[in-house]
This record gives sequence, structure tokens and C-alpha cells, in this order.
Amino acid sequence: MTTTSPIPPTTPRPVLGTVPGEVPVIPGAEPVGAARARRARKASSSDTTDDRSAVSVSDWRRPSVRWSLGTSHWLLLVLLVVWCVGPLLLLAKFAVTPTQDILRTPMAIFPNGIAWSNLSEAWNDVQVSKYFANTIVLAAGAWFSQILVATTGGYLLSVLRPRYARVLQGAVLATLFVPAVVLLVPLYLTVLDTPVFHTSLVNSFWGVWLPAGASAFNVVLVQRFFDNLPREVFEAARVDGAGPYRLFWSIVLPMSKPILGVVSIFAVIASWKDFLWPLLVLRNPDLQPLSVRLPSIEATTDKGVLMAALAISTLIPIVLFLVFQRMFLRGAGLGGAVKG
Amino acid sequence: MRSSRTTALAMAGVLSLGLLAACSTDDEPSGGESADGTVTITVAGLQPGAETEAVDALNERVAEFEAANPDINVEPEEYNWLASTFSAQLAGGTLPNVFEIPLTDAKTLIENGQLADISEQFDSLSFADDFNENLLESGTGSDGKVYAIPAKSIYGVALHYNRNLFEQAGLDPDQPPTTWEEVREYAKTIHDATGVAGYATMALDNAGGWQLAAAANSRGGVIQEQDGDAYTATLDDPAVKEHLEWLHALRFEDNSILPRTDLGWGEINEAFAGGQLAMYTSGSDVYNALVENNGMTEDWGYGLTAIPTSNGGGALTGGTLAAVTQESTDAQKDAAVKWIDFWYLSKMLDQDQAVADAKLRNENDQAVGTPVLPIFSEEQYATSLEWVKDYINVPLENMKGYTDVMFTQPSIGEISASTQDTYALLFPVVQAVLTDENADIDALLETANAQGQALLDQ
Amino acid sequence: MTTDDVVLAPRRRPGTPLTWVRGGGLSALVFALPLLVIFGVFSWLPIVRAVVMSFQKTNLITTSWVGLQNFQNVFADPLLPVATRNTLWFALLALVFGYPIPLVAAVLMREVRRAKGLYSALAYLPVVVPPVVAVLLWKFFYDPRPEGVFNTILGWVGVPPQPWLQSMTMAMPSLVLEATWAAAGGTVVIYLAALTAVPPELYDAAEVDGAGVWRKVWHVLVPQLRGVLFITLILQVIGTAQVFLEPYLFTGGGPANATVTILLLIYRYAFGNSLGGNYGEATALSLLLAVFLAVMSLVYFRLTRRWSTS
Repeated sequence: MTTTSPIPPTTPRPVLGTVPGEVPVIPGAEPVGAARARRARKASSSDTTDDRSAVSVSDWRRPSVRWSLGTSHWLLLVLLVVWCVGPLLLLAKFAVTPTQDILRTPMAIFPNGIAWSNLSEAWNDVQVSKYFANTIVLAAGAWFSQILVATTGGYLLSVLRPRYARVLQGAVLATLFVPAVVLLVPLYLTVLDTPVFHTSLVNSFWGVWLPAGASAFNVVLVQRFFDNLPREVFEAARVDGAGPYRLFWSIVLPMSKPILGVVSIFAVIASWKDFLWPLLVLRNPDLQPLSVRLPSIEATTDKGVLMAALAISTLIPIVLFLVFQRMFLRGAGLGGAVKG
Repeated sequence: MRSSRTTALAMAGVLSLGLLAACSTDDEPSGGESADGTVTITVAGLQPGAETEAVDALNERVAEFEAANPDINVEPEEYNWLASTFSAQLAGGTLPNVFEIPLTDAKTLIENGQLADISEQFDSLSFADDFNENLLESGTGSDGKVYAIPAKSIYGVALHYNRNLFEQAGLDPDQPPTTWEEVREYAKTIHDATGVAGYATMALDNAGGWQLAAAANSRGGVIQEQDGDAYTATLDDPAVKEHLEWLHALRFEDNSILPRTDLGWGEINEAFAGGQLAMYTSGSDVYNALVENNGMTEDWGYGLTAIPTSNGGGALTGGTLAAVTQESTDAQKDAAVKWIDFWYLSKMLDQDQAVADAKLRNENDQAVGTPVLPIFSEEQYATSLEWVKDYINVPLENMKGYTDVMFTQPSIGEISASTQDTYALLFPVVQAVLTDENADIDALLETANAQGQALLDQ
Repeated sequence: MTTDDVVLAPRRRPGTPLTWVRGGGLSALVFALPLLVIFGVFSWLPIVRAVVMSFQKTNLITTSWVGLQNFQNVFADPLLPVATRNTLWFALLALVFGYPIPLVAAVLMREVRRAKGLYSALAYLPVVVPPVVAVLLWKFFYDPRPEGVFNTILGWVGVPPQPWLQSMTMAMPSLVLEATWAAAGGTVVIYLAALTAVPPELYDAAEVDGAGVWRKVWHVLVPQLRGVLFITLILQVIGTAQVFLEPYLFTGGGPANATVTILLLIYRYAFGNSLGGNYGEATALSLLLAVFLAVMSLVYFRLTRRWSTS
């Protein structure tokens, strides 16, 4: 959002917030929809001051402010480039530097030429392509399982509300207070020998996909969103003869795109970053995502090739980020409420 | 409306279906027998990150085995024994049917019922009686049954060095150091002349403890004493201290040791092959891995010599056993032992197999003829080397320092009780000595020893 | 259609299975199924199991009850105080490195007039790098030889080579430095979002009172950020208490246990022994950590609730 293009209230905006009061999407928190409405009101009532910050236009006219802020902005830009982009530029350089140069003169600029072969070796011999595909398949499955559980569960708890809903909701909420650490060992043993079926999900994508679905945070997030959908629409649909399934599929889900987007981003990012769980569950290298595979070949792979593999694994998320920048940053703004 | 309900029902049911699907797909590998009577086994293959030539060589051997045993289907899997991951693999049931374990771990795994009884299959091997008896004993349970078979070779810990760096520092690569004091001098000379670290030691995880134990053994010490069933931890043995002080001197007086404590077995190989250090100790057969994983070639300048010994010390030796997973079916066990015979043992006993293996490895630029201690007899070892002499491609002339004494040097076995846990107590001490100039070696060893004794008393 | 008129408010009348189905009970159950199955198997069951297992000794083949033995063993482990100290040290360093700097950066970035997006994109870039890649890359930067990347750079300004990860004192700060690099962008964006939401009227009011830039920042902005500052603080504590990736991949807990964290210790108990995991002690320690984290998250939820309604 910039001053030049104030966003009209109808534009889809971040669903939850960026205001401290909106960050929590937790039980008891302010209803998401209300916050949105308030924000929308605010935005429309004060379009001109939408981007009002501590330093006012008149402040900017003062030379001292102008000079010091201007300098610090340039300084900040330089620091950001060096600190945030510098390591990645180095990675890009190492990816095409001969190993001997990487080890002896890492900061020299290609004293012995460029080794494009690093890249092809990483792609073919280290098979980055395969592990990349695994990473994507894992993220897609984890996404699906989270969306499925969160939407059906949220619908049940918010709209259908059977008698046992309260108990169920309590049981879901309770898991929010149990950190993932506690589950590490018992969950591993559960996956080794699943109840009823008595099969092992180790070395199967299901071993990662299914546990990913058990995210209380998602359920609560979706449920609170559903809570704020206008009941009149449901009523009208019901009068038109829509049953619970149709109501879910044709009314509630289409109205929930914003929240589904948020859950999706969280799901994909979390899956992309996950290391410990896939490390335990996916022992077969053919199934491993990049995050598990790269460390295990670190010791036996030529430095140049390893750097090329690292660079390739970084490239795609970076491209995704540059393309969907807005969505990422929006999601991160909400991140405050989720990281734990 | 009906159709949307069906969709929703189907959607909600996906999860249970998912479980079922997972169930049915995962049933397949455990049985391993298909309708046409062929049996499939998975076997420990190469390390992660192996060179393509090594992969090709393995695949060709697999093809030969399958041609000779048309009813067996062998699937090699990447395998890397690490103390920190093995138990998860064991518990997870994700080990290949045939896998490798250190000699020292076999007894506990047998007692825990985690290895398959392969006595019957073992007895059918024509050379079952030819094994070195002590070696075979370590894979035998208290019930007298065989659970693990000596495989690969026995290694003795030896000193590996970079001949090029020796030359650059004005040292004669044909006269490698023979005492620890000389190692220190050489390391300093090399570091002063070339700027490259003269020495390095593993210090990461249990490998660090293993190498400290090896050094202590070479200086005439032991880290555990056995009297009948009673074990005493002797981590505070003077030889252990002596070596730690030696490491400390290299680090803080000479500055000639690679100042890294994050090198394990694989990492130090990679650093050595990358020319970052001149000397280190590891198993005598490490050259195989250097070729297999780190692309080392015959003309690289690799040198091998015996670990320096003093005070009646000797070379720490260790071995590898091949075992079969508990879950394997009888047919898989039969196939597994056939594979163990073919892959690990026949090349030491059968001229045709030895030649076939050596030829193939040679064609794929894999090491042939790396010196190791024999599983069978010394004569058998000499004979088998004679069979393949045309294919030997390791720089034997650069390994004389080791081959001249490998059979005469005293050899010392690894400690037998709580081996890995004891190593786990020692590596932080190595790390402390390499990173803290004021490390109190006596206090560190005293603490470690008390903990080591507590492990043994449990 | 008759089955569907109870979508919104299920009838509370008791009845036969038929009325239950007609009342939407069956369809509700269908929607409950994924949640019940997934949470049941992968959340509730493991939680119960964790509590049970902490009183047991098991090697997955035989299991026996050992009372409080696991907890006693955990407390007797000389590594526990070391790991606790290290974890707290990590948390403290992470706060020192990763707390004030993003705030300053965000306040400055809020005032940027041109190319605002560029700033936040640059700041956020490291966050999208896969964490494992970041660690492996930085591990190489931390090469302790004079030829190492960071040591070369230090050499340019005349600073002698540093041991980085190879020193008991420098290892942990090195870990935190990388972790901060990887995470700071996210914090900046959270702060930026919070700053955007400061009601403009407050600035106007301050200006009417004749406040300058500094006073506006200090007296208007910072108090408004109090809530989000506290939330990020607690989140950081909860996050750092579970730090695993960095010590596991950078140092394996070394040198000399200087970077062993609680989670690494749990991992070692459960999976670190080649002869079989000590699952009882691992879950016992997990539970202890969980109690601490549960208290932290309770505080977090209370606060977010308070701030959201204020």
C-alpha cells in the first residue's frame, strides 16, 4: 500500500491482521471479520492519511530531518544489501567456482575461471531435481491434509455445531499448548506402528502428510473465520434447499478464499522448512526432501558441487518469493501469531 | 445435490483411504516374495554421495549375482552406519535386509533380539569353519547361534598422509614419521612451509572418541579393562592424557593442527581429499572410501603408514559384521546369506570371483588392493592378492610404511562393553582440548571416567 | 430436503437413530471424521503416550514401569544443566541480536518514501532461503582457516582469523548470528505491519502538542508497539527453547558440549545411541520442557487476548 494507490475498501486485504489487536487469531481474540470491517471503515474514512507515519510531511521539509533520515535510509539500504543479499550472492558465486578456488581463495573473483560443471554435476549426480520434486510433493500433501482437516473441522465446530462440538473444540485447543517437542518420540513410535492398521508409515510420504494435518492452529483460524461469515447467507441457502454438504462446498468454501490462502501459505512454508520430522520418517533417500538430503551428502560431496546444489535449492523459493512477494510479506505479517 | 454430497463424503473419507493405501503399499517390501517365486532383498550399498563410477561397479556386481541366482532380486540401498542415526533406522524397520554393523555392537543387538538367526544358512557355507574364531565369536549369541557374519575386512588404524604436501615442505614422502614426536615435527614443518594444517583429528561425535582410543592404544594405554565379567573404565589412563596433551600442543603451541572439531569419519576424508590437511589417522582401508566418495585417484599423492607406537602399544583394529534384519523371511535369509557370501567373502576365497570383482572395480576406477587385515588366514590373503595382481591400482609403493608392518604390529581390539557410549564420553574431551587453551585435562578425564564407570556398572 | 433443515442449529431433542440421522447427526459425523482421525492418531494419542512413556522403560520389544526413574535419570544427567544453560544462552543472544535491530530497521523503513517494497523484500529475502541451505552455507562461511570466507573478510580490516564454530565461546554466538540472519526479516515485517496500524490521529495529536520526530517515535510509536513487542518476545522464547536445526547441523552440540541444547539432548536420548533409543528419558525431558513452554504460551494467549480486546 502506498500513498499513490490507496486500496479501496473492496479490495481483498489481509484477512487478519496487521494491527496488534488483530494478530491473535486465538480463542477469545477479536473476531476477524469485525476487525476487517473496522479496518475497512478506517481505510475509507481516511484515505489521505492511510500511510501516515511518525515523520510528517512538514517534518520532511526540515533540512535536519531530511538529511539524517535520508542518510540513514541509504545506509539501511546498503546494510540490507550486504547483510541480506551478500551471502546469497556469495552462494551464487561459489556455485560456479572450482572447488580448489572455493577452498583456497573464496573471496577472489574467479581466479581460475568459472566451473559451470558444478551445476550440471549437482543436478545430475547429486540429483537435486529428484529431491526438489520430493520437497514439492511433501508440501502439496501436507497442504492438502491441513486444508482438509481445517475446513471440515472448522465447519463442524462453527456451523454444524453438534452437541459434542464443545468437547471436541476443547480437545483441539488443548493441543495448542503442547509443543511439538513432546510429540517427537511418541509420534515417531505411533508412525512406526499405526493404531488399528498396524503398519509403519516410515519411508512413506503419508508419515509426513498425515501428522501435518493435526494443526490446531489451522482449525481455530478457520473456525473463527467461519464464525464471522454472515448467517443470513446460510439461512438463505438452506431455504433454497442446500444441505450441509452443499452449504460447505458451494457457499462456505467459496466465501473463505482469504483464510484458505493464509492457511495454505503457512502450510507450504512450514513444510518447506521442516527438517527433523522428515529426517526421522523418510530414511529412504529416494523419498527425502532437500532439507534432509543436503546435510547427509555434505561430507562426501565436492565443495563446489555442494554449493551448486545449495544454490539450486535456493533459487526456486527465491523466484517464488519475488513473484508472490505481496502474499509472502502479508503472510509474514500474520506470522507473529503462528511461529510458536 | 446428491452429487455434491457424494463428493463431500468422498473427501472426508480420503483420510481413512489414505491410511489404507499407506497400509497396502507398505506391506509389500516386508514379504519380498512375489508370485513367481523370486525373492527380493535390500542390501547395504554405498555411502550417500558416492561417485558414479562406484555406483556403476556395484550395479554390475548386482547384475552378475542376479544372473547366477535368477530367483533372487537384489536392491542395493545407500548405507552409512552412524551411531546417531542407526537406532532410528533399527527401530523404524528401515534397515536393508543385509546391513553392516561394527564388531562391537553385535553382542548387544543379538541380546536385544534385533538380528535374525542365520545359523542354518551360515553352516551351509563351504568355508564356515575357516573364519578366524575370535572374529566369528563376536557375531555369535549366548545360545551358540550365528547372528552376524564377519564381512569386509578388518581394519587397523593407520596414518594417512599427503605426499605432495610432504614434498612441498621439503620432507621425504618415503620416510613418513614413525613416532608421535616426529608426527608433531612434520606437522609443524608442513604448516610453516605451506600454510596447510599438518595434522587433523576426528572430533565429531563418537568418531572422535574412537580416534582418541586408537591413539591411546598406540601409546600403550587402554580405556577399559576386563576381568571376567567385571569391566573397569580407564579413560584416565596416562596414555589418553599423553595424547590429549600432544593434541593441545599441536593446537596451541605449534598451531599446526586443523583447528576444527566438526570432523567426523566422512568429513575428515573430504577435508583430506580437498588438500586441507597433511596427516590424519583412520582405518587402513580408508583409501577405498576416498576413491569411492571423494574422487581420489592413484596419482593424487596418497601415502599410508603405520600409526606410531610406543610403550608396547599397537594399532586399534576393528571390524565389520554383516547381519540380517529380524523381519526377514526364511527365503530372504537364504538370499541374504548368499549375497553376503558373494559380495563380501567370495572375493577373498574364490579365484574366479576375486578376479571378476577386481576387474570390474578396476574398470570403474575403484580401488583394488587396499591393504587390510584378513578375515581368514594371512596365507589366504596373500593368495587372493596374487589372484588379482593384474588389477591392483592402488599406489602400493606409497603404502609400504603400513604394509611392511601390518602383520607384525601388535593389534588391539576395540573395547567390548558400552563401546559407543564410552566413545561418546570421550569426544567432548577432545573437542575441549582443541578449543580451550586452559582445558583441565585431568579434570575432564576424571569426570568422563566416572561417567564411563557408571555406564559399566548399570 | 427435510434432512437439511437443521444445518445451523442442531436439534437438542433425544431420539432414535433415525431422528439422529435426520437431524444432521450423520453429516456432522462425516465432517468430524478427518479431524477425529488425524487429531486422534497424530495428536491426542501421542500426547497420552508421552505421559505414559515417561514412566516406562522400553526398547519397543519389552516395556516395564519404572516410576519416576526416568525423571531421576534426566535430572542426574550432567548434560542437563549444560543444555539448559546453553538453551537460555541461545535465547538471550537471540534476543540481543534479533530483537532491537529489526525494530530500528522497521521504524526507519516505515519512513521510507520511495521503493518501500524494495526494502522489505531485501529484508525478507533470507527468510525464504531453506533453513538447511542457510546453515550449510554459513557453516562454510565459518571455516576457521585464514582462508575461510569470514576470516578473509576480517583479514581485509586487519582482524586476525577467528575460530568461529571451533571455539567453545564463539560457537553459540556464531549459531545465533546465522539464526538471526535467517529470521530477522520476518520480525521486521511483523513490526512494519504493527507500525502501519498505529492510528494516525495519535501523530496529529502529538504534532498539535508540538512534538518533534524523536518525541513522536518515542512517545507515540513505541508505546503503541508495546503489545507486539511483547508478543514477539514470547514467541522468540518459545521458538528458541526448541532450537535444534542449528546446533544439530553446525556443531552436533560441540565443541565440548558448548552448543548442546535441550532438544538436541532429547534427540540424543531417543535416537543417538546406536544400540537402541532411551525413549522413556527422552519423553520425560520433553514433558519437562513442555511444562515450561505451556506456561509461556499461556502467558502469550492471555496477553494476546488482553491486547486484542483493548
